[in-house]
Amino acid sequence: MNNLYEVLEICLQDVEQGADLETVLFHYPNLADELRPILEASVNARSMAVPAPSAEVVRRNRAKVLQHAAQMREARVKSSGRIWFASLRRLAVTLAVVVTLFASGTGLVRAASTTLPGDNLYPVKRTWEDVLLAFTFNVQQRDALEIEHENERLHELQELFAEGRSAKVDFAGSVTSQNGTEWMVAGVPVMISVQTEISDQGIGIGSAVRVKGQTQGNNVVLAEQVELLPAGAALPDEKENDQPELEAENTPAATPQIEDNSGKGSEGETQQAESQPTDVSSNDNISSSNESEDGSSHNSGIDSGGDHSGSDGSGGSSGEVEH
Amino acid sequence: MIPPWQVSPQTCRSDSDILHMIGYGSQDQFVKRGAGQTMSAYDERRVLHGLQKLDSQAIGAIYDQYFSEVYRYVCYRINDDTTAEDIASDVFVRLLEAVHKKQGPQSSLKGWLIATASHAVNDHLRRQYRKPVEALSESMADGKPSVHSEVDMREQDRMVQNAYAQLTSEQQHVLALRFGQGYSIEETAAYLKKNINAVKALQFRALASLQRQIGEVSYE
Repeated sequence: MNNLYEVLEICLQDVEQGADLETVLFHYPNLADELRPILEASVNARSMAVPAPSAEVVRRNRAKVLQHAAQMREARVKSSGRIWFASLRRLAVTLAVVVTLFASGTGLVRAASTTLPGDNLYPVKRTWEDVLLAFTFNVQQRDALEIEHENERLHELQELFAEGRSAKVDFAGSVTSQNGTEWMVAGVPVMISVQTEISDQGIGIGSAVRVKGQTQGNNVVLAEQVELLPAGAALPDEKENDQPELEAENTPAATPQIEDNSGKGSEGETQQAESQPTDVSSNDNISSSNESEDGSSHNSGIDSGGDHSGSDGSGGSSGEVEH
Repeated sequence: MIPPWQVSPQTCRSDSDILHMIGYGSQDQFVKRGAGQTMSAYDERRVLHGLQKLDSQAIGAIYDQYFSEVYRYVCYRINDDTTAEDIASDVFVRLLEAVHKKQGPQSSLKGWLIATASHAVNDHLRRQYRKPVEALSESMADGKPSVHSEVDMREQDRMVQNAYAQLTSEQQHVLALRFGQGYSIEETAAYLKKNINAVKALQFRALASLQRQIGEVSYE
């Protein structure tokens, strides 16, 4: 069968070159009867071929296509105004969400306040913390709030351990001991595995770190990531930590860290912002869309200028078409 | 006189010479190149970039290069000059819009245009099939799609066209490319995104089917 298709193609090419049908078939006596009607059909199919369009048709449709392009260019200039409007709308929506959260969100937030990592409402709790931070403008209050949040992380951990639950957690603290793969961070046993990403090889006892990982049944956090925090980052106030083995007490490194913190609040702020992206987005959204309101109005000015020159250019060429 | 099926393919180059054909290459921002060079990926990007900016010159260049081929393809398949003209220009409008939405051709511009033309024709035929109201011509009265009226066709031509209209859209497509456009088997395979052997089999079946339909039409 394949052979038949092959031979047909050869014959088609010969016929296309101008060879006579019977001459072509003469070479394939076995297939001639089968191929003859097919080749006749091909001659018919060729006879239907359409000549090139007349100059008039070409010109008419060329103008049509170019006119459509001109309309698209115009629409583009107009839509640059719409982008400005869209950013204004986004700002309004953000504000509305924030206001709603403040006005009616307290029930939800209260419900979320006792949740633990892995609970459905837990993200609400964290987001609420970020919102509180975002609206605390006093540096000292803010630092205190950050420390409070970090303490809350450790409380959550203890509760997870008590319930024997496994959940994704992240918490900050200073390293108090490093025994091979078993570390203690803020009084919490942390297991380092080969998969653990460690941001800095220089992490040693006394370093302030943020640990991201998974709680294990045996009251250990299996670390996925250990990140060295900059000096002045918010660390939990470990005296409040009701850990049974209060090793945290004998880590002098932690205390100066906290004192430091009150001095260099601004750095703590940035760290906090980094570690809790929701805060950044809610906070930034407002400021950036504020900016973009201004910025895009400038931009749209520039844009429309550019596009005008573009459409001027096209105006020239569509003029050509009309000639 | 050169038969129409021999006009296009030999003279019709790849996306390549497009800029030269209208002297685009030697103008303003476009790089000057010697004739006969094939269009590099760089040039194709340039043209597509021009399209994206809705640059009239780039659009005109592409239109001049490909309109005739697209028109002949559409006309072969639907056999109605006026509608074919509309569909063919619509293919270029679709190109503008696709490029504007950044969904334009990735590799071959011509391949994209042919594929779009084929879809547009299929859409048109489907619509026509759904409401075959206008102008109940004689041929339609006995169940065959319309043939165009302006040209006084010979009986044989009409028969072939009626038979062709009975084929599946894939069969019509392959015949239009192979015999309407006169593309080589390799080129046809590239446009169909099939391997050459599959296209050989497909054209065999399409021709056999056409022959059978002609037999039936003439028998009636």
